Amino acid sequence: MAAGKRKHVTPAEAGAPAGYTAVPVKLSEKQLSPHYLYVKEHKVREGTDTTHPPNRTLFVLNIPPYCTKACLSRLFSCCSSVQAVNMCEKPGPREKPEAPKSKFFNLKTVPGFRVAYVVFKNPAGIQAAKSLSLQGPLVISSESRPVKTGIRKWIASYAASVVDPAELKAEVDTFMHTYDQKIAEEEAKAEEEAGVPDEEGWVKVTRKGRRPGLPRTEAASLRVLEREKRKRARKELLNFYAWQHRETKRENIAQLRKKFEEDKQRIALMRAQRKFRPY
Amino acid sequence: MIGSAWLLIGLFISWQAFDNAEGDMEAEEENQDLPKKGKAQGRKRASAPDGVVKPVKLSRADLYKPPTNEELNQLKETENLFHSSLLRLQIEELLKEVTLKEKKKQKIDAFLHEINALLSAVPETPETDLADQSWLPKDVKVPFLQVPFSVKGKFRFLPPAAVTVVGSYLLGTCIKPEINVDVALTMPRAILQDKDNLNQRYHRKRALYLAHIAQHLSKEKLFGSVRFTYMNSNHLKPILLLQPQGKDEKLVTVRLYACPAPGFFKPSRLYPSKNNVRTAWFLEQGSPGEGAAEPPTPHYNNSILCDTGLESNLLFLAGASAGFPGMRDGVALLKVWLHQRELDKGLGCLNGFVASMLVAYLVAKHKISQGMSGYQVLRSILQFLATTDLSAAGISLSKDADSSLPTLADFHQAFEVVLVDPSGLVNLCADMTASKYKQVQFEAKRSMEVLDDSTVDGFQLLLMTPKPLIRTFDHVFHLKHVSKLQGACKKMQLLNELMDRGGNYVAAALPFVTSLLARGLAERVLLLTHSLPQAPQWPISAEPPKHKDAGHLSFGLLLTPAFAASILERGPEADRPEAAEFRKFWGEKSELRRFQDGAICEAVVWGAETMCQKRLIPEQIVQHLLWLGGVPGWFNRICTYKGGGPAGTGEEAMVSIVRSYDDLSRKLWNLEGLPLTVTAVQGTHPALRYTDVFPPTPMKPDYSYHVRIKDKESLLPLPEKPCPAYIAPMKVVCHMEGSGQWPQDKEAIKRVKAAFHLCLAELLSQQHQLLCRPAATHADVYKDGYIFRLQVAYHREPHILKEVVTPEGMLKYRDTEEVTQVTSCIHQLQQQHPAFSGTSRLAKRWVRAQLLSDSLSDECVDLLAASLFLHPAPFTPPSSPQVGFLRFLHLLMAFDWKNSPLIVNLNADLKVADYTEIRNAFVAARPHLPVMFIATPRDKRSSVWTKERPSAQILQRLLVLALESLRALEEQLADPLGSQDGKMVFRPPLDFYDILIHLNAKQIPRHLEGVDRPAKSFSRGMLKSDALVTTLIFPVVGYDPVQCYLQELREAFGDLALFFYDSHGGEVIGVLWKPSSFEPQPFKASNMKGRMMASLSREELVTVPNVEAILEDFEILGEGLVRSVEARTEKWTI
Repeated sequence: MAAGKRKHVTPAEAGAPAGYTAVPVKLSEKQLSPHYLYVKEHKVREGTDTTHPPNRTLFVLNIPPYCTKACLSRLFSCCSSVQAVNMCEKPGPREKPEAPKSKFFNLKTVPGFRVAYVVFKNPAGIQAAKSLSLQGPLVISSESRPVKTGIRKWIASYAASVVDPAELKAEVDTFMHTYDQKIAEEEAKAEEEAGVPDEEGWVKVTRKGRRPGLPRTEAASLRVLEREKRKRARKELLNFYAWQHRETKRENIAQLRKKFEEDKQRIALMRAQRKFRPY
Repeated sequence: MIGSAWLLIGLFISWQAFDNAEGDMEAEEENQDLPKKGKAQGRKRASAPDGVVKPVKLSRADLYKPPTNEELNQLKETENLFHSSLLRLQIEELLKEVTLKEKKKQKIDAFLHEINALLSAVPETPETDLADQSWLPKDVKVPFLQVPFSVKGKFRFLPPAAVTVVGSYLLGTCIKPEINVDVALTMPRAILQDKDNLNQRYHRKRALYLAHIAQHLSKEKLFGSVRFTYMNSNHLKPILLLQPQGKDEKLVTVRLYACPAPGFFKPSRLYPSKNNVRTAWFLEQGSPGEGAAEPPTPHYNNSILCDTGLESNLLFLAGASAGFPGMRDGVALLKVWLHQRELDKGLGCLNGFVASMLVAYLVAKHKISQGMSGYQVLRSILQFLATTDLSAAGISLSKDADSSLPTLADFHQAFEVVLVDPSGLVNLCADMTASKYKQVQFEAKRSMEVLDDSTVDGFQLLLMTPKPLIRTFDHVFHLKHVSKLQGACKKMQLLNELMDRGGNYVAAALPFVTSLLARGLAERVLLLTHSLPQAPQWPISAEPPKHKDAGHLSFGLLLTPAFAASILERGPEADRPEAAEFRKFWGEKSELRRFQDGAICEAVVWGAETMCQKRLIPEQIVQHLLWLGGVPGWFNRICTYKGGGPAGTGEEAMVSIVRSYDDLSRKLWNLEGLPLTVTAVQGTHPALRYTDVFPPTPMKPDYSYHVRIKDKESLLPLPEKPCPAYIAPMKVVCHMEGSGQWPQDKEAIKRVKAAFHLCLAELLSQQHQLLCRPAATHADVYKDGYIFRLQVAYHREPHILKEVVTPEGMLKYRDTEEVTQVTSCIHQLQQQHPAFSGTSRLAKRWVRAQLLSDSLSDECVDLLAASLFLHPAPFTPPSSPQVGFLRFLHLLMAFDWKNSPLIVNLNADLKVADYTEIRNAFVAARPHLPVMFIATPRDKRSSVWTKERPSAQILQRLLVLALESLRALEEQLADPLGSQDGKMVFRPPLDFYDILIHLNAKQIPRHLEGVDRPAKSFSRGMLKSDALVTTLIFPVVGYDPVQCYLQELREAFGDLALFFYDSHGGEVIGVLWKPSSFEPQPFKASNMKGRMMASLSREELVTVPNVEAILEDFEILGEGLVRSVEARTEKWTI
């Protein structure tokens, strides 16, 4: 399938795009052909990215699915001590810092091949990392720290999915406590403002007040429009003037013509597909 | 001036065609279309597949121009004569397709002239005895079964006294694909003798006459083939078939009939009550038995009379159709209708000739007038057939009330179906059985319903959809060897019938067998019918086929769901006189039983435990009756494909699940101590709507097979042991009461729900001692061996998820996936149609067996199956899963997914206006809609269940697979002598994939669900269901390593390849590279997943997938599960 179209290409062992260095990496010694990590120094304008300081951050592409954060950190620790590793799906500026991490909610793992930003403590790490390409492939899973894949991994994640109710309860309680407080504060603030005109004299009408206005929703405004239309239609006289009468008939014929055209098109299509051969 | 024209048109409401302008207008339209769309949508057009109906855009000028006179006439006609404009156009196209072109007619005429010339040149022969056939050369055999052989009489050949074309060709009602021209050869009076009406003498002369002609014509170069066949498969009446030479061979078949000189036979000798076959002769006894009255031979007499009326009937039809083009069209349409229903061929068929006669009858009765269109003629005739029972009250076309002619009552005594021709002598439906006519009537009734239903495309359903026996009837059984019927004839003492039919035991026994079955099955069946025995064609040098060569005979049953599966047949009370007859009918199966109302009755009880066996009760009955009828062991049962379940087909399992679920929901309702009350409990798992292929079975875990998690009462699988059996969690949604206390924030709602899960788990275990395990998103409940996964829902939550606030502060609702409640609708459907569950499950099993488990959503399959039951036309709703499955495959294959939405009217909530609305919206937005569009009352515009999947390629593959499977299955089912391996279509072809990942059976938890039961099975850490253990530890739930593996594969390599798997215990994962993935691409930082650099030329660096490493990744990711990765590099190169 793809074979026919393919032009002849020769894999370049250490080939790397401009600015990048290819670092071969394997899961274990048994694996014959390595994947290639493509690394380069992370460069952005000074001060825009505080979590990834430009001179000490290594940008890594094409990290295989079984290579975890810890593995990556360990792999690069031979260059210089690693301060932080941040993995994400796509390269680019980091998304907004999320709400405080929870053990039970919004568990998101980045699947498949990923990219990472490795922050070294010391700028020398970057050069050392780039020189890794000259050595043999790095090995992800070591004797001392094996990486779990396959059955063992799934069993482990199944075990992790079984949660401790007490712990869960405690977390829910604390979250709800802070949430309730926040809501209470907001309500108190809104109550304070209720009925008090702002500097231009406008008063905010809320659904809490004595005469709540129409809710500002799309559905409500559509309803209003619809009602208006119906009111207008009721007042209008149909087929009162001769020209109105004629217009309706003209319109009728036009509709029929249109329908006929559609039917004809359908038939032409069916004829083309030989849909009229009964057997 | 113009104004008045407009007023005139206003009178007509519906639209019509102006054919003459059709071509021009189309061309015009295209011209206008091109410049407009060409630029703006150039790209879309190129990518969109051709043959898609697009919304029509007409310019204002075109729409509002004043109509012409022709246009007005056309309008008037459609209004008066047709149902709708589309129907009219469709019928015109169909007629164009089936009628004979003028050019071909000329060729045929020339051919006929040549035949005529040749016929008069056939040489005479000297007179010989009828039994002395030595004058015939060896290379031609008499096309007649001469049993008994000896017969008195003399024969000589003389050229025909007259050669006339009769039948449909002259009337212009013959239709493709088989163009037949009937030619009657009148045998000169000199050939015939006085008593030729006796003992098949006339018939034998006919046969010899044709044999002699055949022998001479076969020497001519003019003919491509010269063959014999039986007229309407009646073996007393051979006819000669001639086909032209060369490329026109298929153009026409000229059929030569021999008929007696007019006025030769005295009609009074051939009345239905007369005897013309002597018993003594037939049984080859020396002297006629004295005293015994000879039985009447109505069929035999009728076969002679038929030949005498050929010409006069033609004149009669010509008279009726003169100046009436609508009749020609109507008969042609009726013939197509009959052909699609397999009613127009074989012994006792309703052929084109009878159809024309019926139309002529209606013309004579002024039920059809000359101004009618073809469509109206078809409609009238269907209406007539639907309301007239010719098997009870026959009709006669004869006008003169000659008292010497036999009466209709005489005919009814002799024949099952009566339609007397204009001469008042011939019954045109002599060979038809009552049950066949019942089928015609039934079909006509159904067709009228379809025509009156404006939501369906009647044309398509009535005239374009074939209805083969296998797909039409719920149960079909075959008589493998019809020769066994000979024995039946003997046992049932049908000698007179045998004589009447000239020894054809199939024809003689058929009415008897059908009436026997009809009585035995009684109200269990809506309709019982049989296939028509077909006679083959044979070359003139071969012996004529015997009766047993008619192949097998098939019977079709349409079941009534309410009674079909009842195990009891209650007969009359024991002291009534009917009881003896009942006992005699059922034989030793009948026994006395005391019923709850105190009556003691004769009754028959059929043994059946499970639903699966109950479905086969009609089969038991048929087998029993046929065995009583004296012909044992020739029943060939339709194979039942089970899902492969261990016992039964799982209906009982699902009933027990539903029972357990009902109990759970009751407990939830009555739970005390919840902060908010439960307002509704809804099961969404397929098992709870009876459509799960393998419903979960109660499980008890064996502790020794698992490890226990510390401090938590749950079990864990062990990596070195076989994977524990899969326990599917059944999702149950638990709606909580609304309250002001619910937060308005997404995150907070999640926390509150988690709190509810904790709370539910605690209360259930306290108040009902159920084992529960809460989590943030659900709470699992272990009950009766099943796992129910409770999920709390808050009715405003979907709204809150959808809410977005626009910059102006307006609250708008974003469109998110609608959570439709298919489950409850489908549950209802199951209550109405017991076969629904089986159909849907077979369909799902098939889809999954084709490794397309994840390419089609379950709900989508359920809806497809539902549509078979809600919109069965032109069939009836299936009453057996097998036929439902066949129709499912046919629906997939034949439906025009590109141009039409499949509308599933659940709960009958859609009205006619909704249908049009859906169709219009569909046409308008076609390019943006999913390839497979299914509309339901709650979801008219978007087709949620098919939005993501299947993709266009997958749908294409699905259609191909459906086509192949259907063909294989139908062939298999229609041929009782072939192999009967119904599982064949459930075995997927694997040669299609680039890479096969073979899995380790030890780690496939659903291995036992495989299509072919595995030879080796593993102990999966479950105790037998009767083991006495009270489980206190939670089993492993929803753990399927293969699914985990697939998920990881798709996440990592979804851009490069597609993965296919049969989720019911498949041992192999098929991988297909995406065609685009091997294209070398320039480097892009965001697109380096699993790729590596390669140099195309010296300078240029591109990226290609790192295939070797990826193949190794397949093994790494599935460590312990993958047995081997088989790369079929012959299909692709690295």
